[in-house]
Amino acid sequence: MPKTSSSLSRGSAPLWSAATRKALVALIALAPLLIFIGIFFLAPIGAVVIDSFRNNDGDFSLVNFSDIFKEPIRTAMVTSLSLASVSALTAAIPGGILAYLIESRGSQKLRRIVASISGVLANTGGVPLAFMFIAAMGAEGSATGLLKLAGIDIYGSGFSLYSFWGLVVVYSYFQIPMMVIVFSPAVHGLRREWAEAAMTLGASKRQFWTRVGFPLLFPSFLSATLLLFASAFSAYATARAMTNGTIPLVPTMIGNLLDGNVIFDEVNLAKALAVSMVVVTLVAMVPYLIIQRKSERWQK
Amino acid sequence: MNFKRVIAVAAASAFALSVAVTASAPSQAAVNFCKVTDLKSAGGMDALVAAAKKEGKLNVITLPRDWANYGEAMDLFSKAFGIKITDDNPDGSSAYEIQTIKTAPAAKQPDVVDIGVSALNGVIGAGQAKLFANYKVANFAAIPSKWKSETGNWYGDYNGIIGISYDASVAPAPTKIADLANPAYKGMVALTGDPTAGQEPFMAVYAASVANGGSVTNIKPGLDFFKKMKDSGNFIATKATPENYIAGAYKIALTWNFNAPGMIAGAKAAGKNLKFVIPSDAVLAGTPYIQAINAKAPHCAAARLWEEFLYSENKGKTSTQLTKADLKVSGSKLFNLIRGGQNIFVSGGATPILQADMVAKKTLISGPTGFNVPSGAKVYQPTPDQQVDGKTVVSSVWPTL
Amino acid sequence: MAKVKFPRRSQLVLGLTLVVASTYVVLPLASATEFSLRQPAKKNYGLDNFSWFMGDPDFVKYLLISLGLAAYSALILLVVLVPTTVWLNLSGSRFRRMVEFLSLLPLVVPVVALAIGAQTSLPEFAQTDETVLAYMFAVLALPYAYRTLDTGLRSIPLGTLIEAARSLGAGWVRAILRAVIPAIRGTVLNALFMTLALSLGEFTLTSLLHWDTFTTWVTTMSQSNILGAIALSMFSLYAVFALLLAIGFAVRQPKFHENSEEE
Repeated sequence: MPKTSSSLSRGSAPLWSAATRKALVALIALAPLLIFIGIFFLAPIGAVVIDSFRNNDGDFSLVNFSDIFKEPIRTAMVTSLSLASVSALTAAIPGGILAYLIESRGSQKLRRIVASISGVLANTGGVPLAFMFIAAMGAEGSATGLLKLAGIDIYGSGFSLYSFWGLVVVYSYFQIPMMVIVFSPAVHGLRREWAEAAMTLGASKRQFWTRVGFPLLFPSFLSATLLLFASAFSAYATARAMTNGTIPLVPTMIGNLLDGNVIFDEVNLAKALAVSMVVVTLVAMVPYLIIQRKSERWQK
Repeated sequence: MNFKRVIAVAAASAFALSVAVTASAPSQAAVNFCKVTDLKSAGGMDALVAAAKKEGKLNVITLPRDWANYGEAMDLFSKAFGIKITDDNPDGSSAYEIQTIKTAPAAKQPDVVDIGVSALNGVIGAGQAKLFANYKVANFAAIPSKWKSETGNWYGDYNGIIGISYDASVAPAPTKIADLANPAYKGMVALTGDPTAGQEPFMAVYAASVANGGSVTNIKPGLDFFKKMKDSGNFIATKATPENYIAGAYKIALTWNFNAPGMIAGAKAAGKNLKFVIPSDAVLAGTPYIQAINAKAPHCAAARLWEEFLYSENKGKTSTQLTKADLKVSGSKLFNLIRGGQNIFVSGGATPILQADMVAKKTLISGPTGFNVPSGAKVYQPTPDQQVDGKTVVSSVWPTL
Repeated sequence: MAKVKFPRRSQLVLGLTLVVASTYVVLPLASATEFSLRQPAKKNYGLDNFSWFMGDPDFVKYLLISLGLAAYSALILLVVLVPTTVWLNLSGSRFRRMVEFLSLLPLVVPVVALAIGAQTSLPEFAQTDETVLAYMFAVLALPYAYRTLDTGLRSIPLGTLIEAARSLGAGWVRAILRAVIPAIRGTVLNALFMTLALSLGEFTLTSLLHWDTFTTWVTTMSQSNILGAIALSMFSLYAVFALLLAIGFAVRQPKFHENSEEE
């Protein structure tokens, strides 16, 4: 990009050096986002972080963080992580395939419809979603009944909507659409021209995919899966609506301590739990960042 | 010199005028209802009603309509006194109530709260008794001393008993908590929530404990019972809510008796037949919920009138029985005309805090049958201290049930 | 002959997949809708449960409040995100990783913790103005919106587009508005959809911050009428879907794009 094209220096001698100008542009570009995040997210979270380092009498203490490694929180953390990982993977693959098929083969009309449906479904949750699934797959659900007619008794064979796997099934209702929304732009970017170019050069379909397609799509796929992981990990309303505490999860625990009717003196522990969730996600981002850096060269 | 005299005359007449004005002013200074501590200092019921009507609004918080028939209480109060009631987050928790008082801006402050005892201990224990204002209702002396503060900044209002709600199609109809382990009830039994988050399921665990050889000091048998039911498939992890009931997710639940009448009516409207029974092997009463007036209440007179209303033992008229002619009557007469909160709680299936007094004075109406303590039954009631111990045990055992 | 068969088979795969996906989507919706149409008193099906809440005087009032907040939060996100994502993609800066991490954060923190933090950290004036909710919704939608916009921008020749626009005399803002955004029209629309749907369905934050929107009104109304409550939540879902569909089709694609971009 020609350096003198900046409107700042048009027609006059530059007031600042190129480096300063670059910094200034960076500031202007990032400022809206940073101010916005600062006030409406970082400040509230900051308040939470500060309190997490206080014990329940208000004095500075690390007791909350040591409590996290004890039961029952440890089990809740493990369960939450497993649920998030399983949910992310079981939704990323069907979601990714669906996104690919729709983006590459669907008409524009179809893509618009899918986008709006996915937008709505990705935001379903809580009591309405729980009810929909109970109505469909509960003990007296419509799907349960239909399967019974076909001779399959899912509850008889031990399935329960209110178990770990039941939660995975319910979560997939908003996870898969989310995958479609977030991954579609990446598929969209996989030009048909590249496929054609590869074919012209003699590559088979399989070779195209293993040498060009997958490597190009993989970082976006991974980042989308990470998004799904984070979303399942922190899902609050749906978990609260579906479980009664026998499936220990960190978000519901936080809710019980902050917004409950039984325990009122462990608010700072709840805040420490929230902080620990952020730390966990940070750790989960590391593999993604490594892969991202390696495949940056593919992206332009 | 002339000028000085003019000033002197002006000053003198101004002084005289102000004395005259002050002398002719009403001898009683305007009452600051936010500092009123009982009916007497309010200037009597008529004055309180007038002031409340003038305020015209009341902010309540986390009061579900079918909880101990609060819906009727709100409707009656509103209709009788023309006061508009706003209910902040009806499904909210006691923690939400306290948090709101502590952090919400002035316009969002509730006037009165109805919280669980554990919430109160958390607040009072931390030296924050100043959150509530002192006000002793007319019947304050009749409230058991265990359930009120000496200064009058909190007082118990009603309590309930844990019972079994069940769908009419369930056979055999359950009568005991211990029965629920019967294989005939596979996949049917649920709690209304997480015992570490809700008073109702927490008390249900106590009830299960008493029914299975435990007591209010030993909650473990209750937890063992639920584990047994979970393993056998009787106890399912769904939440016992009205919607889930309609969808057939569960058929039997352990609930407060004062929630049952509303649930039964709601179920009937939705086409299902729900029944309720007090278990014969454990009559578990919860600790009373606690009323308090917010020290930062925006509508002080209305708040105090509401409390007088909730503690009134009058039999009186309900909201549907109240006529236009009734509304024209003056303050205290109108107050005595309408049904008091204590009896409204009774009609909702709850046990009012003033029950002993009402029985003695014969002001108790008969509530719905089958919702109260069977005569002669031993009632178990875990004290707040016992609940603290129970809480610790449940928090560590329940997640790994 | 291979060229003729290939597209047909691929359409078949797409069709089959859509059938499976549709069944999976529709079954829970249909089951819940069936409940909402029940009329036990009349022993038939009908729209009684729907007319129950639609007749309520507060229905339109709260619907408009929620719609207004949703639109405002979508606007906030666009204003905040477009400069940042465009610049990040143009300059390939090392701030990108920081921004990516920041954008992911709102997703990881449970809403209830964010609400409690907001209660103590937001200044008094912010808590008395309902538009603060629009900003909080925008924060909640940030992860999806950022991810979508960013991926979309990566897939177009951003530098070329801007250079072309500026060499024709457009300033920065005009170049972005007239050259870049139309090129990622679909992506912007997706980001908008997510923000709108999220804002219209948000409950936890709204109630913990003591505000009244359509979703909190739904909870209040739902108390004594079970079937009515079900009808109300189904209505919310369908209404949002209809809204998004309408917006999606209202935004028309100019003809000259069809050659170079399959939008």
